[in-house]
Amino acid sequence: MLRRHLATLLAALVPAAALACGYCVEDKIASVYDHAAVAKALGERHHTVYFHVDGPLGKDERTKKAIEAAAASSAGVDRASVRVNVETLTLGLSFDPRRVRLVALQSELEKKLARQRLTLLPLRIIEAPGDLATIHSR
Amino acid sequence: MKNPALPALCALLLAACNPAPEQKAAPTDPYDISRMDLKPVPSKVSNERHKGAFAEGASLSNVPELKPLDPSPVKTVRLDTTHKIIEIAPGVRFSAWTFGDHVPGPTIRAKVGDRIKFSMTNRSDEPVPGVRLTAAPMMHSMDFHAAMVSPQDKYKSIAPGQTIEFEFTLNYPGVFMYHCGTPMILEHIASGMYGAVIVEPKNGYPTKADREYVVIQSEFYAKAPGKGDKSGVYTLDGERLRASQPTHTVFNGVHNGMVKNPLPAKPGERVRLHVLNVGPSKTSSFHVVGTIFDRVWFEGNPDNQMRGMQTVLLGSSNSATVEFMIPEEGSYIMVDHHFANASQGAIGLISTAAKPPAKDLEHHNMPSVEASPTDPEAVKGQLAFQSKCLACHSIGQGKKLGPDLAGVTKHRSVDWLTRWLKEPEKMLQTDADAKALLKEYNNIPMPNQALSDAEVKEYIKYFQWYDALPADKKPQAQGGH
Repeated sequence: MLRRHLATLLAALVPAAALACGYCVEDKIASVYDHAAVAKALGERHHTVYFHVDGPLGKDERTKKAIEAAAASSAGVDRASVRVNVETLTLGLSFDPRRVRLVALQSELEKKLARQRLTLLPLRIIEAPGDLATIHSR
Repeated sequence: MKNPALPALCALLLAACNPAPEQKAAPTDPYDISRMDLKPVPSKVSNERHKGAFAEGASLSNVPELKPLDPSPVKTVRLDTTHKIIEIAPGVRFSAWTFGDHVPGPTIRAKVGDRIKFSMTNRSDEPVPGVRLTAAPMMHSMDFHAAMVSPQDKYKSIAPGQTIEFEFTLNYPGVFMYHCGTPMILEHIASGMYGAVIVEPKNGYPTKADREYVVIQSEFYAKAPGKGDKSGVYTLDGERLRASQPTHTVFNGVHNGMVKNPLPAKPGERVRLHVLNVGPSKTSSFHVVGTIFDRVWFEGNPDNQMRGMQTVLLGSSNSATVEFMIPEEGSYIMVDHHFANASQGAIGLISTAAKPPAKDLEHHNMPSVEASPTDPEAVKGQLAFQSKCLACHSIGQGKKLGPDLAGVTKHRSVDWLTRWLKEPEKMLQTDADAKALLKEYNNIPMPNQALSDAEVKEYIKYFQWYDALPADKKPQAQGGH
């Protein structure tokens, strides 16, 4: 629980404190934003969530594929929606909230990424058209 | 015994003999930070989609026009983002991203101390009438160089359908760029997301101009539609973009746009140009043929004044306000004196006649693309020719530093041309015709352009297209004087 709160707090601090111009939260999201995937998710009443990927992340295709595979194989995730940008350390995906809650999804993803010592900080979530809500305020 | 009043009396006498200098009021520093308005107001992001005009505000003009200053101290400005097809050169329809549905975006005019209340809806997801080939909707943002604000709060990216609102006060005079700051910034600027904010000094400019215009220089990196693509829409060429190899370098968004539509001025008038080089990657050596800049205010600030300048050098996002007199009847040619850029379209006219005759365009490399090939390889060849070759060659307009290339495919074989374009230095050592050419053209060698086989083929396809045209169909002024 403490870790969860810490994660949301860090996520709130990321834009101003840790990241340079072009890498604030919204810019990170922009790097993986796929409007067609978002529109499809909204049409199916799914949610689209964006995570900051924290840890010793290699900026190579293999690492990218590993994260994509972990996300795509998680329960409730729309496989085709997964987007990873290793330059901006960002993961975006859509999921069915009726099948999996965000907390459980993050937990499952982090278990899969534990071998790479990667953790996830949830940044924003889209639940409705034009939405890009901060997660810590929910 | 000392008189206790004596020191005071002496001081009084001294003061009378040496009166204190008259107290002069210390000059006010116009850049006194303590007097600037830096009070932050947090930005607001909402899901409210604006559905009206893409650009709104009494302070807005579309280049090159510049409306008189709106006297309101608070200027409400809306610039929504859109995706649309624009024509950057005759026949070159480009998939652009815009502010206010224009490239460049509308110019904002204000003065020091004015408050800008800005709003922007990301409308990149709205369908373009009749065209379904614009880029996918994406996140966008706004970065005003004229503002002093937290980028993390004001310049954050918003998703399609979202609206951001923020405000700021203009503290410095100048000609400032605005642009989209969403990664990859290079792609957003190269796709058309930029414009200018003209901030006048609080008490106005020190001179009076008869004419005032805005000139924004920028590059396009356009990739011709591939084989089988019947849309005819050019898209952003990522490879060229990253290598800083533009296909078009233009003033106010259009290749040679102000040659066709010159800016009017009369003899004896004082012209003020606000010039902004957007880049994103090239410098501009801005020059006006036939006159001298009486004043150059670097970055548009009269405190940065230079006199009697021929050219002003502008890096990416640099600007200058230049003023000059129109000495007599004629067409005065605005040009990037880095002629590789000029040959790509960075040319315009200020003319005392509404439609100056073509012969007035004495200056350099002004291709007209009124007739264009349809074969994609020939199209690429034409673009490459206009980008790289016009400084030395014309096609159908006579000799320059090198030969006129009209008819070249009639008297040279494809094999010869291929070898010549690929390795001219080797040909100059071994081939008699190449040696003769060198002699005929004052020993100026044809440079090796490091062309790929595909590029060589494209050039030859373009030359073949031109040579196959009937005489009455050949386009005029393909690189002539």
